[in-house]
Amino acid sequence: MNARTAIVDLLLGLVPLALLVALWQALVSFGYAPATLLPPPGLVFMRLAQQLVSLTFQHEIAATLFRLFAGFSIAVVFGVGIGLAAAASPPVNAVIRPLVRVLAPLPKVALYPALLLLLGFGHESKITLVAADALFPILLSTYYGASTVEQKLIWSALAAGTSPRAVLFKVVLPGAAPSILTGCRIGLVISCVVVFLAEMIASTDGLGHVLVTAARTFRAVDMFVPLIMISLLGLVLNGLLQGVRSYLLRGFPEV
Amino acid sequence: MISARTLVARAAPWLACLGLLAVWQVGALALKNDSFPTALQALRAVPAIVSDKEAIINILASLRRMSIGFGAAVLVSIPLGLLMGRNRAVASFFNPLLMVVYPVPKAALMPIIMLWIGVGDLSKTLVIFLGVSLPVIYHSFEGARAVEEKMLWSGAAMGLSAAERMLRIVLPAALPEILTGCRTGLVLALITMVTSEMIARQSGAGNILFNALDMGEYEIVYAMIIIIGAMGICFDAMFELMRARLVRWSEPQFDIPLSFS
Repeated sequence: MNARTAIVDLLLGLVPLALLVALWQALVSFGYAPATLLPPPGLVFMRLAQQLVSLTFQHEIAATLFRLFAGFSIAVVFGVGIGLAAAASPPVNAVIRPLVRVLAPLPKVALYPALLLLLGFGHESKITLVAADALFPILLSTYYGASTVEQKLIWSALAAGTSPRAVLFKVVLPGAAPSILTGCRIGLVISCVVVFLAEMIASTDGLGHVLVTAARTFRAVDMFVPLIMISLLGLVLNGLLQGVRSYLLRGFPEV
Repeated sequence: MISARTLVARAAPWLACLGLLAVWQVGALALKNDSFPTALQALRAVPAIVSDKEAIINILASLRRMSIGFGAAVLVSIPLGLLMGRNRAVASFFNPLLMVVYPVPKAALMPIIMLWIGVGDLSKTLVIFLGVSLPVIYHSFEGARAVEEKMLWSGAAMGLSAAERMLRIVLPAALPEILTGCRTGLVLALITMVTSEMIARQSGAGNILFNALDMGEYEIVYAMIIIIGAMGICFDAMFELMRARLVRWSEPQFDIPLSFS
């Protein structure tokens, strides 16, 4: 029964994707859009397959992935650390809260020119931008998760003789884990988006750069390839994170 | 005593702004880099931009595109998200599509959309619309899914039709979550606005920023960063005020710090 509903759900979900590709194909084959502007889907996917085995394209993917992971890991470490510290200690909270209030709604892309001027056109400026953008969702959800941990659990751990430091890692951190992982998921999507944008603005390699060069030379097919690639990357990374989540939260009743 | 405490709480964001500007000033003085002016120099360049008529027209055009895109996205996304949250079939119909679209940077669609419908307002507004709608759909979906079944049952038992239940039970119950999504959407709208104008250099705040970067007018670059940042902070503060008013009942639970004593 459960497996059957899962299959039905899956099939239902494939419908809009199939419709999208069908609409795309129809637009091309009935001549509504010239093939120079909208290449047929078959051609795009062929080109994607062809590119995937080429070494230069793999280098671009590797560059993008490296920046994405570096920025995202920095954001996770700082986000979880600062979030926990702010939830645990009122003085830290008093400092962090107004700073977050000011910095979180700041559009970080607008800072990118400053980062370019300060850190140069290499990896550093892009990684910093990714980290800055992914940091706040992770920080906020860690903070919310940690501050909604049930106080009774903390009291009972303290009563059982656990030191406050150990409570932080043995009670609060696991209790906040679902919320933290939700924040990580949002942060990961944002990292995908931001790394691509940063590469589009100023870069010599990476998927965003592939798109920009294709756009400058009006090769429509090559413009679709990096877009589909980043979407696939996002899907795969999301799936991996889902795996990590169900492993880490295996003791929780509802995931 | 209490008023002094609220005064400090009110002043804290301003103090944070001042602190950040001070850090910037000290950092710039320490680095002595030509391409990194001090905070004071950048602030001094702000009035020149704000009093320039062309710049004002550009910024207002950006704001118009942003508000139209944001408004349209909210109007479409909230009903869709709520429907997805309450109806399994609708959810499994749209979820994979949204998962595929979510990691695609919306501003990266700009070059392709430009080829189809030109560099005008429509393409930029469309990109902003796409950027805002996804988080709003996602949060509305999560909010509607978490509505307690018992309330819906009692509503149905009291004779509310499905549409009335949606409007009078699901929508208010999901409102805090929806507003969280709108807040994320607001920041994303600003980001997409800047990047779309960076790609299609024709008008707007992003255009001024990146043109100044290309010309090496660093004080204008940093002044524009201040202006765009201030816009983001103002919108967020305004939205926060509105949110606090709309969902006063759901507020307190997050503001209690944990005690370890």
